[in-house]
Amino acid sequence: MSRTINLTLKVWRQNKANPGGFETYEARSISKDMSFLEMLDVVNEELIVAGKEPIAFDHDCREGICGMCGSVVNGRAHGHMEKTTLCQLHMRHFSDGDTVSIEPWRARAFPVIKDLVVDRSTLDEIIRAGGYVSVNTGGAPDANAMPIPTEMAEKAFNAAACIGCGACVAACPNASAMLFVGAKISHLSILPQGRPEAAKRAWAMVTKMDKLGFGNCSNETECEAECPKGISILEIARMNREFFKAAFF
Amino acid sequence: MNWFIETISSSIGKKLLMAITGASFILFLMIHLIGNLTLYFGKAVFLSYVAHLHALGPLIVAVEIMLLILACIHVTTGTFLFFQNLYARPRRYAVKRWAGGRTIGSATMPYSGFIILAFIVLHLSNFHFVDLSERTIFDVISTHFSSMLYVFIYTCAVVVVAFHVSHGFWSLFQSLGANNNKYMPLLRVLGLIFAVSVAIGFGFIPSYVRFMI
Amino acid sequence: MTLDAKIPAGDLAGKWDRYRFDCKLVNPANKKKFTIIVVGTGLAGASAAASLGELGYNVKSFCIQDSPRRAHSIAAQGGINAAKNYANDGDSIFRLFYDTIKGGDFRSREANVYRLAQISNNIIDHCVAQGIPFARDYGGGLAYRSFGGAQVSRTFYAKGQTGQQLLLGAYGALMRQVAKGSVTLYPRREMLDLVLVDGKARGIVVRNLVTGELESHAGHAVILATGGYGNTYFLSTNAMGSNVTATWRAYKKGAFFANPCFTQIHPTCIPVHGEHQSKLTLMSESLRNDGRVWVPKQPGDKRNPADIPESERDYYLERKYPSFGNLVPRDVASRNAKEECDRGKGVGQTGLAVYLDLADAIKSRGKAEIESKYGNLFEMYEKITGENPYEAPMKIYPAVHYTMGGLWVDYNLMTTIPGLFAAGEANFSDHGANRLGASALMQGLCDGYFVIPYTIGGYLASSSLGEASANGPEFSDAMAAISDNIKHLLAINGKQSAISFHRRLGKILWDHCGIARRDDDMKKGLCLIQNLRAEFGNDVRVPGDEADFNQALENAGRVADFLEFAELLVTDALSRRESCGCHLNVDFQTPEHEALRDDENFSHVAAWEYSGRDKEPVLHKEPLVFENVALTRRSYK
Ligand SMILES: Cc1cc2nc3c(=O)[nH]c(=O)nc-3n(C[C@H](O)[C@H](O)[C@H](O)COP(=O)(O)OP(=O)(O)OC[C@H]3O[C@@H](n4cnc5c(N)ncnc54)[C@H](O)[C@@H]3O)c2cc1C
Ligand code: FES
Repeated sequence: MSRTINLTLKVWRQNKANPGGFETYEARSISKDMSFLEMLDVVNEELIVAGKEPIAFDHDCREGICGMCGSVVNGRAHGHMEKTTLCQLHMRHFSDGDTVSIEPWRARAFPVIKDLVVDRSTLDEIIRAGGYVSVNTGGAPDANAMPIPTEMAEKAFNAAACIGCGACVAACPNASAMLFVGAKISHLSILPQGRPEAAKRAWAMVTKMDKLGFGNCSNETECEAECPKGISILEIARMNREFFKAAFF
Repeated sequence: MNWFIETISSSIGKKLLMAITGASFILFLMIHLIGNLTLYFGKAVFLSYVAHLHALGPLIVAVEIMLLILACIHVTTGTFLFFQNLYARPRRYAVKRWAGGRTIGSATMPYSGFIILAFIVLHLSNFHFVDLSERTIFDVISTHFSSMLYVFIYTCAVVVVAFHVSHGFWSLFQSLGANNNKYMPLLRVLGLIFAVSVAIGFGFIPSYVRFMI
Repeated sequence: MTLDAKIPAGDLAGKWDRYRFDCKLVNPANKKKFTIIVVGTGLAGASAAASLGELGYNVKSFCIQDSPRRAHSIAAQGGINAAKNYANDGDSIFRLFYDTIKGGDFRSREANVYRLAQISNNIIDHCVAQGIPFARDYGGGLAYRSFGGAQVSRTFYAKGQTGQQLLLGAYGALMRQVAKGSVTLYPRREMLDLVLVDGKARGIVVRNLVTGELESHAGHAVILATGGYGNTYFLSTNAMGSNVTATWRAYKKGAFFANPCFTQIHPTCIPVHGEHQSKLTLMSESLRNDGRVWVPKQPGDKRNPADIPESERDYYLERKYPSFGNLVPRDVASRNAKEECDRGKGVGQTGLAVYLDLADAIKSRGKAEIESKYGNLFEMYEKITGENPYEAPMKIYPAVHYTMGGLWVDYNLMTTIPGLFAAGEANFSDHGANRLGASALMQGLCDGYFVIPYTIGGYLASSSLGEASANGPEFSDAMAAISDNIKHLLAINGKQSAISFHRRLGKILWDHCGIARRDDDMKKGLCLIQNLRAEFGNDVRVPGDEADFNQALENAGRVADFLEFAELLVTDALSRRESCGCHLNVDFQTPEHEALRDDENFSHVAAWEYSGRDKEPVLHKEPLVFENVALTRRSYK
């Protein structure tokens, strides 16, 4: 079995001067052990040496935790492997001769900055509306003063595992951010530390999300299927409950 | 802004409206289905059911008005959602594959919704706003279903309804937040059973009337 | 210049209390008149910016990534230490202090480390109050584990994502201040210079990475929390964007750089797969609790591991260190892996790997138990390598992981430039020559939440600082210099990419100043670095525009700084005529190949001063005084 493959890439290129379109590149002798981003590195190095602008893409940790990377590869957010970020997608999952289409996250709330790089600051704005516990540094009680059942801690952790990559928005047929917002609201509303502000938080974050141009959730569950951390849509159900409590009580 | 208006105009508020109105239609659909099943037992049984129903008098009118209002809300909110969602993604993907979350039912909600709306208009003009002074409703039904075109349209429409509720059923629980990992599988299954019942229960009526009676 | 660490007088345990009492305070009403620039939003930067915002200062927070939440701290896996003694196993503030000093091979400052140990407990309390979902035991109390060979269980964790959860907590606190208006965020900005006015740090120049514009930001003090420089070695476990640029440019403006040669090499990383590898992934150290490390006895044995009989395997750590076995400290494990591979016993395609085998543990305790303990690590390993660790032993190899060196700071965490502070991995302060597991998160949060908010107040209250304004000539000069620099890089128009230079630099450093260092090698390495830098200046190619989103340009700038900094790193390594912690010079070792310290002559911090382009840097020494611990030699036999 050969350890390298050749691919044809159809990559979305866009910049200030160019409103956007696909360009075709050949990725040659790609080792199957490379990650998808390393494959792009190879293509980019060729472009640089040829004096052309490399393909712009966001990335940092390359371990699937910072949430910086992400593109729609062959129609799937972060590519076709389950629970995998683009930086953790390895080329052994592609075959020699494949054509691979690569597009940026597409949503009104995520305008393209360049090529595959989008502006996700709207996600920060949602957190800013209330995605925290209002506690100042200093003066916290002893860490063990309030016992928290293991199951509760785990449930909160599962929601808190969100890496904020925006794949849920990208994958959602409606470009909705409900899984992202649901995850944060759930994480904090499950824990006793987050309860005092739960209603206020749910209201503030949801209404903020609405103002930022995300779509509405119609329970398509594509977000859950594409989430690299496997966050469940039940977090959205919990967010809905918290929101109703805030609105009606 | 008034808190109530603010709530229902939010994204989750709109979900709430869709869920509550949807739930009412599901309830209505169940009753309607149970009633219509009498057709399978022949003309006499069916007409006696109709008579009982009409005996309810003003209650029926009240329910009809309620349904009309709910329909207006469901349709307007749905239309809003449809266009807002289109607006949220100004440029579509050139290549898009679904990851396995979507179903035919969920993917077609707005379209099946509009088809159902058109069908309801047709359905009401066929069977509701008709002159029954000289014939029974059963006669109206059998006249219409003597036409293959009607049989076809009605059967298709029922299938569309079934797909719509296949997603709508569990989805409304999710929207209401009445869902957790214990009940999720149950809700999914119940939704499926309900959709299939609708498809079978309503779906065979036209053919039954056309061919068997 | 004599280095004054400004350590408060008096007994060790009371120093921090007394310091806080003696520290001048800023009148609450005046706080909002002070602008503080915080560069970096990792654990150190985000926590500092948030706490300063809470106090009422006007804070400007900068980071390279598109959101503060993505700083490299997010990747930390294992946990965070605190001297809570919840396990009732004999832990105490003094023990954490002692372990940290000893672990650092007696090359850190007592007073700082003691303060760190004291504050460790407040950190956990605060993080729990923030809603961080730490692991819990069945009674609802915090779960803890022993980590990195510690003899007490003092490490708190949130699955394998402790850094993520802690950073999201700090990020939340930061966003809360943004909402309140006390902090302004400047994401996608890269700090390219520090601006001094009258000898004090008064601002920075950044490049807006989206538009390419240069921006000046003025303030009354500047905090650098820009992380470590592990990426000088190209391949490391650090995030791709981690860099030395901010600290290096501060160094060039007069901040001393301390102990640059202290770089930690982590023994359990997934080995390099090939030429185009971009970074290395850490496999948690905890695997060594149950795994056995081995290589084939016969050099060049390329058989399948399963085909190598027990008698032909060399469990070299167990053989050499019977009492610690596979649990020897990071530096010892790393060094031995390299030695075995140098003898031709390395495994895998490249021959640069050793086996970490959990087969015995699976056999004796069952797959289920091992899976529950390490399941997610095994999954990660399989994802990256395509091999199933339940069936074949994992392959591991050491990789650069953490840098103990950094900007020299005093007890206030202030550098040698008044008004310039350094926090987190960017400073050199607490870990000496070697960092213990789970203590970087602790230090970052300690600096940011609990130390800098006090010490910066003391500085501001006792200095006379005028209005913060970016209109002075100092700012325009700095902008002009950077702009020239950028234009120059774009104009070289050579034939090689910046990343290819970076790759070569990494190889030079790894080979000549890596795990085990030799004088000859290092001297040769120094020449190679100089040549490479010259070649870079003539032949690098940076396409694209200055006034645009241009990642090639960003990268070229960072590589240029790595190339300069690497020389200082090797110079420092050469000048430290001893072995200590992670710095092993083969000329200084015990007969058992252990690091041989020279406490007489090298019990000091080496702080380097920039003396101009192409001039030798000047070495300053801060003597380390140990009044509370006895200097001992480590032994793991
Ligand atoms: C894989 C891995 C696992 C680890 N696990 C553990 C663990 O279990 N326990 C533990 O205690 N430690 C661990 N560490 C170490 C620990 O994570 C780091 O030392 C620590 O997080 C550093 O935090 P920091 O705030 O100093 O810097 P960082 O988190 O590195 O943040 C640097 C910040 O500075 C910004 N920045 C950098 N340069 C510039 C510039 N020029 N201009 C503007 N902004 C800039 C960046 O954008 C970023 O926001 C681990 C490290 C790695 C690599
Ligand atoms: S680069 Fe960090 S998640 Fe992919």
